[in-house]
Amino acid sequence: MPSSVYQRDRCITGIHGMDEILRGGIPYGSTVLAAGTCGSGKTTLGMEFLVRGALAGEACAHFTATEPSVKLLENIRQYAFFDMNMVDTGLINVFDVDVLYSWLGLDKASFDLDDVHALIKAIVDIVNTIGVTRLVIDSVTTLCYKIKSEQLIRDFLFTLGKKLATLGCTTILISEITSATENAHWSSFGVEEAIADGIIVMGDVERMGHLLRFLQVVKMRGTAHSRAKHAIELTPLGVMLTPMLKWGSAGEANWGG
Amino acid sequence: MFELDQRIAEQLSEVSLNSAIQLRSGTSNSFMVTASTMLPLMQMFEMGGVYISASRGAVEIIQAFESIGVDVSHIQFIDLVSSGILGGTDVPYQNIHFVDSPIMLESILLRTLYILRTTPTERNFVFLDSVNALSIYNEGRMLAEYLHTFINTFRQREILSVILNIPDQTPPLVLSNLDLYCTDLIDRGQVVIN
Repeated sequence: MPSSVYQRDRCITGIHGMDEILRGGIPYGSTVLAAGTCGSGKTTLGMEFLVRGALAGEACAHFTATEPSVKLLENIRQYAFFDMNMVDTGLINVFDVDVLYSWLGLDKASFDLDDVHALIKAIVDIVNTIGVTRLVIDSVTTLCYKIKSEQLIRDFLFTLGKKLATLGCTTILISEITSATENAHWSSFGVEEAIADGIIVMGDVERMGHLLRFLQVVKMRGTAHSRAKHAIELTPLGVMLTPMLKWGSAGEANWGG
Repeated sequence: MFELDQRIAEQLSEVSLNSAIQLRSGTSNSFMVTASTMLPLMQMFEMGGVYISASRGAVEIIQAFESIGVDVSHIQFIDLVSSGILGGTDVPYQNIHFVDSPIMLESILLRTLYILRTTPTERNFVFLDSVNALSIYNEGRMLAEYLHTFINTFRQREILSVILNIPDQTPPLVLSNLDLYCTDLIDRGQVVIN
């Protein structure tokens, strides 16, 4: 009988409570889909993931497609965990996807196979050149809007994930969803969830007219993680998590009796 | 002159940081019991901490302490009442934090943990005022589950938790759970008239 069980090396997120849920962190090189409704804390989670990496001396990159990088940095500066020096010293590298499209000459309404490959190559080249070990794409939903075929989206995400994993880069793909209930899809195009190594769902639970943010890891290959719903709070020190009360996790529907 | 119950200080000297104290008061002596507990914690034991106010707005509590000459400016208050009142969050104190509603139980816990991470004192307490006020908004089973989580969270972190409770007004399920989870009891639920 083997004396110990093999465990994959982990990318310690450094986010309060998150590594406990993941039983040590995200397995290195994973592509994780962070799917959430608007205002659920996806961008903050993604940015804190990078900041914790930068604090440990890792090179990090953030591709922003939903808002200009200037606006993103202005919003994130309110958090005490964020230090603009990390951007100035090149530990956190923020890229506007629109600017990337311009560099690549991708100014069309929809992308074909060649365009998708050019985009993958550009991202991978940046990761390779800088030696990025933590990457966030915010959001993959916006990034994929120009890819009209489901097959192309699948190829794009699969190839990108595979190449990033080869480079030892742990990636969070942020995905915008309209509902985070049990029956909801955890991706906008229906393909991201199948390709990702991990899925983190973020949303709100309504409790008597108040919205309580939650986070749930529904899938993470390579680790025996918790699948419980956790309440989250976005504090100046970063995201904080605590298990959601069992009698309060489904809102008013769970009351009485 | 405001008279403190000195026996509470004596009882407090026997508890450890990972204790959870159920502090029982009556309706009329609630502030006296609160002050008789808070004062020794702050002055004798030089502790800092968080005061969670669900029964009244934090400003009213701070002013009640000030009226008996007690400075609570180094204690952080989490006010669960004032956000529900228009203009209630416009306050002259820097040490008050607001949570939208007493129904946001997990947010209260996380906000407390956040404040404790930023507090400079080494030894800290969390004072919950009160179970009765929380029970107005929260169903018994959920509140019992919450108190279980609350107490264990702070015990594990060696932060003293003090839970104020007026037994006559507490749902039986919550009361029996409090009896079970708390390590110590300071009972001033019966007001003795000399």
